[in-house]
Amino acid sequence: MEPAHPEERPLKKRRFFAEESSPPQVLSIRHDSPPSVASPEPSIGSAASPVCIADIAGQHHGGDFGDFDVGTLQAIVGELPLSTLQKLKDVSDGDSACYTYVPPAINLYLDGSWNTAPRPVTTVFPQSRPLPLQTPLANKLKRTDSEMSNASTPDSGASTPMTPVLKTMPSRRYIGSFGVVAWSTKNGTGLLRHEEKVGIERTKMQPKQGKGNKRVVSLKKQDAVVRFTNDRGAEVGRLENESAAWVSTLIDQKMCSFEGKVVYAPDRLKTGETVYLQLRGYFLRSAFDKRKFAKPDNNREVSLFEEKESSDERDLRLRQVALVKLFEAINLQPTRENETTEKHKRQGLLQAAETTEKNEQKPKSGNGTPAEPGSSPPSDEAEEGEELEQDQLDSLYKKAQSFDFDTPAMQPAETFAMDLRKYQKQALHWMVGKEKDEALTGREESMHPLWEEYEWPKQDADSMPVPIIEDQPMFYVNPYSGELSLEFPKQEQNCLGGILADEMGLGKTIEMLSLMHTHRNEVFKDESSATMRNLPRLLKNSAVVEPAPYTTLVVAPMSLLAQWQSEAEKASKEGTLKVMVYYGAEKAVNLQKLCCAANGSNAPNLIITSYGTVLSEYTQVAKQDGNRGSHGGIFSIEYFRIILDEAHYIKNRQSKTAKACYELSAKHRWTLTGTPIVNRLEDLFSLVRFLKVEPWSNFSFWKTFITVPFESGDFIRALDVVQTVLEPLVLRRTKDMKTPTGEALVPLPPRTIEIDKIELSQDERDVYDHIYLRAKSVLRENAEKGNLLKNYTTIFAQILRLRQSCCHPVLTRKANIVADEEDAALASDLTSGLADDMDLASLIERFTAEGDQDVNKFGAHVLKQIQDEAEAECPICSEEPMIDQAVTGCWHSACKECLLNYINHQRDKGELPRCFNCREPISPRDIFEVVRHEHILDEDNLRSDSLDSPPPISTQSPRISLRRIGLTGSAKTQALLTHLKRIRREFPAMKSVVFSQFTSFLDLIEPALKRDHIPFLRFDGTMAQKQRATVLKEFADSKKPYVLLLSLRAGGVGLNLTCAQRVFMMDPWWSFAVEAQAIDRVHRMGQEAEVRVTRFVVEGSIEEKMLRIQERKKFM
Amino acid sequence: MALPKRIIKETERLMAEPVQGISAIPHEENLRHFDVVIFGPSQSPYEGGVFKAELFLPEDYPMAPPKVRFLTKIYHPNIDRLGRICLDVLKSNWSPALQIRTILLSIQALLGAPNPDDPLANDVAQQWKEDQNKAIATAKEWTEKYAKP
Repeated sequence: MEPAHPEERPLKKRRFFAEESSPPQVLSIRHDSPPSVASPEPSIGSAASPVCIADIAGQHHGGDFGDFDVGTLQAIVGELPLSTLQKLKDVSDGDSACYTYVPPAINLYLDGSWNTAPRPVTTVFPQSRPLPLQTPLANKLKRTDSEMSNASTPDSGASTPMTPVLKTMPSRRYIGSFGVVAWSTKNGTGLLRHEEKVGIERTKMQPKQGKGNKRVVSLKKQDAVVRFTNDRGAEVGRLENESAAWVSTLIDQKMCSFEGKVVYAPDRLKTGETVYLQLRGYFLRSAFDKRKFAKPDNNREVSLFEEKESSDERDLRLRQVALVKLFEAINLQPTRENETTEKHKRQGLLQAAETTEKNEQKPKSGNGTPAEPGSSPPSDEAEEGEELEQDQLDSLYKKAQSFDFDTPAMQPAETFAMDLRKYQKQALHWMVGKEKDEALTGREESMHPLWEEYEWPKQDADSMPVPIIEDQPMFYVNPYSGELSLEFPKQEQNCLGGILADEMGLGKTIEMLSLMHTHRNEVFKDESSATMRNLPRLLKNSAVVEPAPYTTLVVAPMSLLAQWQSEAEKASKEGTLKVMVYYGAEKAVNLQKLCCAANGSNAPNLIITSYGTVLSEYTQVAKQDGNRGSHGGIFSIEYFRIILDEAHYIKNRQSKTAKACYELSAKHRWTLTGTPIVNRLEDLFSLVRFLKVEPWSNFSFWKTFITVPFESGDFIRALDVVQTVLEPLVLRRTKDMKTPTGEALVPLPPRTIEIDKIELSQDERDVYDHIYLRAKSVLRENAEKGNLLKNYTTIFAQILRLRQSCCHPVLTRKANIVADEEDAALASDLTSGLADDMDLASLIERFTAEGDQDVNKFGAHVLKQIQDEAEAECPICSEEPMIDQAVTGCWHSACKECLLNYINHQRDKGELPRCFNCREPISPRDIFEVVRHEHILDEDNLRSDSLDSPPPISTQSPRISLRRIGLTGSAKTQALLTHLKRIRREFPAMKSVVFSQFTSFLDLIEPALKRDHIPFLRFDGTMAQKQRATVLKEFADSKKPYVLLLSLRAGGVGLNLTCAQRVFMMDPWWSFAVEAQAIDRVHRMGQEAEVRVTRFVVEGSIEEKMLRIQERKKFM
Repeated sequence: MALPKRIIKETERLMAEPVQGISAIPHEENLRHFDVVIFGPSQSPYEGGVFKAELFLPEDYPMAPPKVRFLTKIYHPNIDRLGRICLDVLKSNWSPALQIRTILLSIQALLGAPNPDDPLANDVAQQWKEDQNKAIATAKEWTEKYAKP
């Protein structure tokens, strides 16, 4: 263990100050039991011996010290020079907390602070290290003192050679001293003496140790036993747990070694007796070596394609806390630290440490532990963080979007083919400014914001010089990852990009495209990009990541790829922007070869790809052990610029997609999103992480300053910090912003939304009521059994079925529609729930009943007569001509609505429905709609030609055919057709968009449109990308008055459908925001006419209740 | 509530093409309310009589029939002392295809063809069955007495 040390024992007793004047730390009560788990290894093995405070003999006593008990003092610490005594007295005099000066004086002397502290020390005790920032006077004083003590110190230990300057760092370097409380585990006399050196080590416990110990067994599972041995190598006791916890970490992680010296121990030791030690801490050289593999520049790389284990995370967390505690104990202050963090640091780290302890017991990894390094996110996919209240979000946005209308604008490059609005030019100016921000790179000396700089102590607690190493006056600590460094941690190049968070419809895509045109590297003549080409040039298909200085990568949801492509082409003058969609079959190319600088003239300027592609290539590269280069795909090049469209796709930082996106390399990084924060502050983190904005992209840092304060209720501080993060990064304008002159930012034509209340037909109502009653009884059953919550999926299934039956009763029979819903588990519920349901089956049967064929079997004369009547007045409402002529089974015509109304009227009175004309009994099923085909050219229909082939009556008159009402089912489809037909009459060229969340409902609408010869297109999630592109192009470019059927999910975001002016929402969604987003596909920039939106809601149904829920949500 | 197109159209037509022996004029303050005058049909005991009636179009007209009531006292087996009329098209046989005009014609026809087998005023019907001549005489007498302008 430790080599014997020549001791100079104090001559007199030294135990009188134990009770009354223990320093605060000494008084702290031990609160845990002897640990029973062995530590893996004792780590102080070095042949080091502590420097002890030698008795300073030969000094004369004297002078007037008043009531300052020089004798006592010297009895303990040995003979002292007069000047020292005087200083000690002065210093301890000022300490008002002490009524007798001697004990503090002793302590001051022992920990070495007496000669450096110009003022009484009131902070942490024992304090050992001189403050790094001293007044010149103090420094001078220090120097003389040290010279003096130097001269009089007989020995300073093997590891602290007298030569003060070394060329390289020794195996360990002194960092500071501090006092700790320990307790003995032995009984006996003479085990420890004052000034005796003790070894500090981690070791196994002797089993006998537990006896006679009154302390309660604590729950702590971490083994943190640090024992100390006397100079004969025998264990004498252990450190108090509080300090042992972090001392053990530092030893275990081979960061520090410690040496101890007895400050006070009773002559006769009893088990559990308190012993005071002074520890000298040394940083091991290995602590700095280790760090080289975990540089902040590299730490992402390290974690790139591997799973981090949770024990690693715990180690890091422990290390972080231990370092903070160590610096606190030795009172070492950073000489330089990040300004931003300074403000919050103390508070933050203390809070963090608390949270850490609290969470230590929890199995959940990482939550609330600021020490968790950002580089190793936990592998679980769960989202964390509390949801933001709406008003918090609002105020956050309000701050972030204080957009100055006077910001300079910038004209886009010549090659850009579109006109920009003023605010778009301003965005361009801002973006180019962000990208060209060379000021940040110019500031070479700026330190990495996560790091802190510390000065190596020049002397130890006893004012003896410690070896100084040439050119290493400082060392650096990253308190967020617990890393140490001897090299200056340079601020990485800051993110040359940002978050463009303009609200939907303001033209983010166009703004980005203008940026691509305006700020680009010119092929051949550019020298500026040479700076980023510092990687060695290798042959084709190199294993490293090749720069692609001419290429911008856009990552967008699959449904938007085509739109990006077409917009990019529209916005560029011929041949000025080479666009490539990297998706599906196009992926065969080797991007690295294609895009590298050498191939500059042929490299695509814009590559558009999907999140899915990024993810799948990420997985492939991961399988190849992270060998990006040889894969030749997306990850093999460093782009000039990356743009993530709809960037909230990566809002969950733990999702694989997000992780994949983080790994894309580029010089400029942008994210586009209308909602940078969806509902958690962590949503924003993921964007910041992608942008690599230091220091915020370090999750530990983020946690410390944002999540932890936020979760502990300190909203203002957290949001304040978020705002400082956002402000330089985000540009956000909203549609309702007004210019100073009061004009709207984007003058959009008006938009009206009306709710069309649908009355279900009696048959539909029967189905609805049936399902409703069943649902109710199931609910009541469950409530009675008390397992309501357990069966909530059943309730959801019932609600889903109710909603479906509002749309079309047949929907409730289709199991596959569940694919549209979140919970696929509902599927089994639905099918099994309906299997035995004969009543419902028969109710629904009415809707599936076959009946189209017989309709057109009528003789030509009947049709002729019907046709003649069409021009006549409706006998019921006197409309002339009839609205939607319909005929009874007895061939009497009236408006469809009048006819149905009358039938319902009679039924309500309990009468048998009869014909209004001939009083023949009629049934609603025998009502036929007259379909006229005057305006249709069948062959134009994209999706199909007509199914029914009506008999041609005469070439002059328009063709008609009859269709049984109720066959196309639901009241909603009928209502939709009524609307569409009216549009056809009033605005023959108008295009419409129909949204439903049930694709199978769209399936049912399709045949209805077909029958009425309304041209339509279909767009939903099942379609391949190519097909989607074709559909969108056809819809936009064709002159036909198309109706586009869209699934809410697939078409709700991103698409630009401004060629339409009418929107129909077939069914309400739980939150209106989703519907609004869909509506904004049409009502967005580029829309030139008024937009009318019709939302179909079935009266007296669950849909009305959903509207009320929407209202509630809106007010929230 | 706005007046349905049908009522407006009917009213206009009643004004433009009045029916022989019948007039119906809407109240100014309530266009659903009509003052009706029906001339007794010739070759009936009511010939020469001018019978006032009121007609009201209910809210659900034309799904529901209009309400018609004689104001002038009339001796008729299908019309009671309060002026209420027993006529199938005003009740179960109503059809929205019928109109004010057709209804009033039906009532006029009812005057010409009393139907004592489906009575509303039982005593009158009884008299009509027992002694038709006497009943007709009474009807004429009442017409003379109450229905002369």
